Amino acid sequence: MPNMEFELGLALPTPNIIKGFDLNNLGLDQPKDMGGLEARNKAARCFSDKSKRSFEQAFGNSEEEYKTKTLLLWSGQPNEEDDHKDQKKRTFSTIDENDAEEVDQVVGWPPIKTWRKKIFQQQHRVGRIGNNRVADTDSGRSIYVKVKMEGVAITRKVDIRLYHSYQTLTNSLITLFARDKKCADDDYTRYILTYLDKEGDWLIAGDIPWQSFIRSVQRLKIIQKICTFWS
Amino acid sequence: MHKKTAFSFPDEVLEHVFSFIQSDKDRNSVSMVCKSWYEIERWCRRKVFVGNCYAVSPRMVIKRFPEIRSIELKGKPHFADFNLVPDGWGGYVFPWIVEMAGAVPWLEEIKLKRMVVTDESLELIAKSFKNFKALVLSSCEGFSTDGLAAIAASCKNLKELDLRDCDVDDLSGHLLSHFPDTYTSLVSLNISCLGSDEVSFSTLERLVCRCTNLRTLRLNRAVPLDKIANILRRAPQLVDFGTGTYAADLRPDSYSDLAGAFSSCKELRSLSGFWDVVPDYLPAIYPVCSKLTSLNLSYATIQSPELIKLVSHCPNLQRLLVLDYIEDSGLEVLASSCKNLQELRVFPSDPFGVEPNVSLTEQGLVAVSSGCPKLQSVLYFCRRMSNEALVTVAKNCPNFTRFRLCIIEPRTADYQTLEPLDVGFGAIVQYCKDLQRLSLSGLLTDRVFEYIGTYAKKLEMLSVAFAGDSDLGLHHVLSGCESLRKLEIRDCPFGDKALLANAAKLETMRSLWMSSCAVSFRACKLLGQKMPRLNVEVIDERGPPDSRPESCPVDKLYIYRTVAGSRFDMPPFVWTMEDDPSLQLS
Repeated sequence: MPNMEFELGLALPTPNIIKGFDLNNLGLDQPKDMGGLEARNKAARCFSDKSKRSFEQAFGNSEEEYKTKTLLLWSGQPNEEDDHKDQKKRTFSTIDENDAEEVDQVVGWPPIKTWRKKIFQQQHRVGRIGNNRVADTDSGRSIYVKVKMEGVAITRKVDIRLYHSYQTLTNSLITLFARDKKCADDDYTRYILTYLDKEGDWLIAGDIPWQSFIRSVQRLKIIQKICTFWS
Repeated sequence: MHKKTAFSFPDEVLEHVFSFIQSDKDRNSVSMVCKSWYEIERWCRRKVFVGNCYAVSPRMVIKRFPEIRSIELKGKPHFADFNLVPDGWGGYVFPWIVEMAGAVPWLEEIKLKRMVVTDESLELIAKSFKNFKALVLSSCEGFSTDGLAAIAASCKNLKELDLRDCDVDDLSGHLLSHFPDTYTSLVSLNISCLGSDEVSFSTLERLVCRCTNLRTLRLNRAVPLDKIANILRRAPQLVDFGTGTYAADLRPDSYSDLAGAFSSCKELRSLSGFWDVVPDYLPAIYPVCSKLTSLNLSYATIQSPELIKLVSHCPNLQRLLVLDYIEDSGLEVLASSCKNLQELRVFPSDPFGVEPNVSLTEQGLVAVSSGCPKLQSVLYFCRRMSNEALVTVAKNCPNFTRFRLCIIEPRTADYQTLEPLDVGFGAIVQYCKDLQRLSLSGLLTDRVFEYIGTYAKKLEMLSVAFAGDSDLGLHHVLSGCESLRKLEIRDCPFGDKALLANAAKLETMRSLWMSSCAVSFRACKLLGQKMPRLNVEVIDERGPPDSRPESCPVDKLYIYRTVAGSRFDMPPFVWTMEDDPSLQLS
């Protein structure tokens, strides 16, 4: 791969000593020596006169002459003795205790608003049925179930509440995975849909009534049908 | 022949001229021409924006601008959105309301962001401002529907009640019933963040019916899909609509009812909501898609094929918010269908999962950058990136004003070369000369900050996480970014040196946030002493910083310029570094 920096013309000057800094008395109180702190430096040039005046003028400190300050002379060289310890704070995921794939979370990362995170937490309850669920007729919250297909790297999630029969579920899964698998149509007959039920067993989908199925299913897996003696 | 100078115009003439000047910047410039212009301008300024509520006191604001009609305040630092600012830090609006209640009875509009609002504050607003027209609360907390009910009941001229992403204590579903039957002036209502499971639909329908000027209506999740049709039919003039739950049992009559209702809304330009989407109901919005300019599908957990179909119907889309279910393939379709796209935000559907659950990579971003010439603002969450892709994006989109990239795993390198992403982001700042806002992620060394300091001259806000090698990185930014106003940093190896060497720069900025970095307590104290016009706040839940050696790094540091001095409402875990009294300015 060619050196991108030269292509972009991004060659930069090597870090050099920042001009114009004054050595400062660190931490020593010399009230009359405010004048000693005056030094035009690079930082001061960032602060244009115009905006300085507006800030002071706006809020009444009109007489005070702006003094630029540096509190430390620094050569701009990287510090050798810095031993930055990794200060990551980690909290455990509270979203999905059942799922071993969930990783320890860093606080506030990824940067998603609290409001939005709440929605994710509601939507990603895997296989758990909501407490406020009423018998049959509820149009309650989504039930998200992971779907893995043999040979496909990506595990997807579907909301099984959106479907009302095995057929509609299967059709949707076909559409979903068709892009990943790039199979010919007749290949579908060689796959079976299996599911992990509440008791932890992997069963073939389709044997129990749909309503019982959605109450029991924890995960879905699409596997290749093995030509067996008894199938 | 004599020249008429500006000074010989009567005040009323100048005031009339000034009334055409709306922007704060221009108003500030006008006020500095001379003392008499300053005086005239301050009496006729109607709108004030305070970017940091602790930068100035309410009394100072009102003293200078006694006749304001609108105030906008921001409280907590931006990283509060991600739980980095502990509860109770501050940002209370009550003192402002109290001050204004007495001195500015004709106040019409209050806009707040990241502030703590109480029911008491809301009740005081309702009581004190007879001509109150607009309340916009964005990411605020601390209040309940009782406080809002007071506003609804008392403010006869209320036009706008907009609650965006607020944490509201939802005590009942009856907020809307507090609007009197005689009340008709509603123009904009956004209750999308209200959580209650009960909304009185008849009350909602009657409200919508009698408020014929209603242009914006954003409902909350509790409003079911089968109620939408009735509401839309009663408000065909709507421009901006947010649905509630977009799920229902599939019935042909309810579908056609809904589709018909959407068709009747000829003015509709913006749609949002879409919680719990049943895909079969989506085509109901197709009649309005061709005119849509803004679409927020960021709560819609629909897969790529449905998203593609939807997006293909919206050739005039300017703004799209969507989950990463759209995938690269969907973004390619977006790039070919939506040539007017200006803003794109792609949120992660499974932010805490380790494995990718969707096929969304840097390719999608490249496709959109290539196909959408007007693209200006991007927020993109993904799991991999390359320098090559970033360079391509930068060259395709020199007009970017906002570029926020979040590669979900911290310190992720270029997936092709395993190098840091310095060059890629360097290209962004080099080519996008008008860039105002930038968020970095991925594996980054001090080099990226060199690029930023060298090229990002218009950059106003920079967000940095898990990046850099040394103080040099921070120094580049502070010394090079001339327009920098807000800098927020977390988990970077930046310490005392760069901060102290650029102390003066901090007074030119609104604020600096540093958490989990390497700034010592000693340096904080020094800054606090030497810079009287800065508040240097140390936020540390481990206990008082002076119970540890001075050289210990502080947990969180928030520095902001202020003319109001230290604040008095700090919780026990916040310490303001004392100004040196001998250096006090009068």
